[in-house]
Parts: sequence; C-alpha cells; structure tokens
Amino acid sequence: MEKARISSTQLFLLLSGFLFGSTVILAPAQGAKNDAWLAMLLGGAGGTLLMWVYAAIALLNPSKTLVDILKEKLGKVAGNIFAVLYAWYFIHLASLVLRDFGEFICTATFPETPMVVVIGLFAVILVYAINSGIEVMGRLSELLVPVIPLIVVIISLSLITVHDFTAFLPILGNGMTPVLNAAFSFITFPFGETVAFLMLFPHVNKKEKLKKVVLVSAAISILLGIILFFRDISVLGSDLMARSTFIPHLTSLLIPGFNVEPLVDINLLIGGGVKISVCIYAAAKALSQIAGIGDYRKLTGSISTFCVVLSIWEYKNVLELFDWAEKVWPYYSIPFQIIVPLLLLLLSLREKSKPSDAGAES
Amino acid sequence: MIIVFAVFAILIFYDLQRFIRKKERARVFAIYIFFMAASLAVSLLLASERRPSSPSQWIEAILKMIGVLK
Repeated sequence: MEKARISSTQLFLLLSGFLFGSTVILAPAQGAKNDAWLAMLLGGAGGTLLMWVYAAIALLNPSKTLVDILKEKLGKVAGNIFAVLYAWYFIHLASLVLRDFGEFICTATFPETPMVVVIGLFAVILVYAINSGIEVMGRLSELLVPVIPLIVVIISLSLITVHDFTAFLPILGNGMTPVLNAAFSFITFPFGETVAFLMLFPHVNKKEKLKKVVLVSAAISILLGIILFFRDISVLGSDLMARSTFIPHLTSLLIPGFNVEPLVDINLLIGGGVKISVCIYAAAKALSQIAGIGDYRKLTGSISTFCVVLSIWEYKNVLELFDWAEKVWPYYSIPFQIIVPLLLLLLSLREKSKPSDAGAES
Repeated sequence: MIIVFAVFAILIFYDLQRFIRKKERARVFAIYIFFMAASLAVSLLLASERRPSSPSQWIEAILKMIGVLK
C-alpha cells in the first residue's frame, strides 16, 4: 500500500472541504423551505451517525481500504463486484460535482464560455493535485479550506444591515413531512458521500483521533449550513429562496456598495476541488486495487477524462441536474452509503468478537 | 468534431507514450483504453448532437422498475 501519511488536522480539513463542497453554493435541505434549519439539524444528526459508522469500520479494519474490506468480508468475487460498483459511484459523484461547478461558473461568472472548457480546465488542475498524492492534497486543504468559513463570515457580516430576522417563521408551517424528506436528502448529500473517505482513512497517522475528527468536521459542517440558511432566508425571504438556483450567489449580489461575487466562486473552487479530488482519488485507487495495479496515478488521467465527459453527458441543463439530484440521488445512494457500510460494520464487529470467544472457550 | 479528435489524440499520445516507455502491464492498457474509448465515443455523439441516454436515466429507470421511485 502507498506509504503516504496525512495528519488528523489534514483529514479534518479534507473532510470539512468535502462536506462544504457544493453545499456552499447549492443550499441543501431546500425542500423544507422555512424549516430547512430543522431538516439540517435532524439530517445532520443522522449524517454524523453515518460518518461515525464509516470511522468505526476504518478502526475495526486498520490499514485497509474499502476495497480490501469488501474483499475480506464478502469474498473475492462479490467483494470485487461491490468494489467496481463503488468505483463507479465515486466517478459518478465526481462528475456530478464537476457539473455543479460548471453550471455555476457558466451561469454566474463566465456566461460566454462553453461549459466543457470550464470543467475541462478545472479537471486538469485537479488531476495534477491528485497525481501529487494524498499528502499534497492534505497540505492543500490545510492551506485553502480555512478560507471557506472566513468567506461565509465576511459575506454574512456584510449583509447585517439588510436582514429580516423573522423570515424563517412560521415553524413547521407545512408540517413535518417536508422536513423529514429534506433531512433524509441532507444525510445522503453531503454526509453519506463521505463513504469515499474509507479509501483515505488508512493513510491517517493517528487513528485514535479518527472518530473525534469525523464528529468535529460533521458538527462544523452542520453549523456552517445553518448559518448559511439563516443568512440567505433573512436576506432573500423564503419565496425568493425557493425560486433561486444558486442561493448563496444571489445573496452575495445584494451586499450594498461592493461586489463579493468572486468570493462565492472561490468557495466553490476550494470545496468542489477537494470533493472532486477525493472522489477521483478514491475511484482510481479502488480500480487500481481491483486490477492489482500498484500505482493509482496510472488511472487518474483516463478516469478524470471520463468524469468530464460524463458530467456533460448526464444532464441537458441545470434544472434536470437539480431535479435528478433531489428525486433520484438519495434513493440511488442508499445501498452505497447506508446498506453496504452497515453490513461491513456488522461483519467487522462479528469478526472482532470471534477471537475473544475462542479465547474464553480455551 | 475535429476539436474532440484533436484533444483526445493529444491525451492518448501523451499517456500511451508514457505507458510504453515504462512497459506497463496489459491491464493498465485495458482500463485506460476502456475509459478513453467510452469518453471518445460519447464525446463524438455529443459533438454531433446525438446525445445517447445517460447513466442517470438508466439509474432512474431501474429505480422506477423496482418500485423505489414513482
């Protein structure tokens, strides 16, 4: 296995960057409208639990990646089949985030530039980062991810004069069902997507801090999501918020006196960049382990090219993308994010309890 | 169409040259060719404005078929 090591701080920032990812421009749990904050709290609790499950799997199987664990627990054939499906899932996720990025940049910043050019150039930079290794990705996140909350704070404080602090009322005006649906969506996007980190956890140098790192990054992500929601709804109001495509971008346009639009672009560049890098790294690493190729770098170029093409191929327009992401993505993600990881956790726990039983008998 | 061919020619030439020089194993070539061929085929179809049905549509159809989605 690759001997690269990342510190728990670097993992924390990679996880936080991954969780901020496209959430900084897309405002998750939007389906719950005024009660999105409640959906974020409920979904965030579920998502944190799910991330805790991933950390527990990694701790029960130290120095093993998701592919190793799948092969060990499910057998070589079934393990390889599931590993290929996971590689596909990571590629698909990377292409979705690339498309989010492309749609945002082509809508907000470079409307005259073809989307394939924007996505392609971004992919070239990311391939360079991924080929530099997980340590470089960790150091990059150390350098860049702290900028995201800073930008959120700058934009939020700049809008302090145009707030309506009662805009999120009434609470539960549409009942509990939309809140529960949005909470479920919030679990699968972005928390469940961190299943990709099962390919990275073996590289963490201090494994004993893994659960703490996971819990803290999840808590910060929920907090940032709620801050973003209250900022956006108190500036835009629930009606305009429900009709907007890129809500934080629209909010940033309303700052009186100066233009901070590029700061939102920077947020997406950092968060989206971390998320896509992790997904492509996980896919390349998974495929290289399945095929018995020593170095994942041999596959990053071709996988990234495929991700770029897939991101253009998948959806005709931004509305189709959002509709699919809202209606299909949560259900499509259930086996990858919940069922298989829970199965792996149960099998790992059963295996862990076996030697002690044998010891007790003897 | 020509731009698509040109971009893929550059990418493939650059990578294959590296693979041949390092005498990579056949499975590296197989995976590489699979992804690049799929990407080239889809890119050419998209460039000629004949968008094939996408994996997202297949996934949606499967989920509808098994009754997960209505």
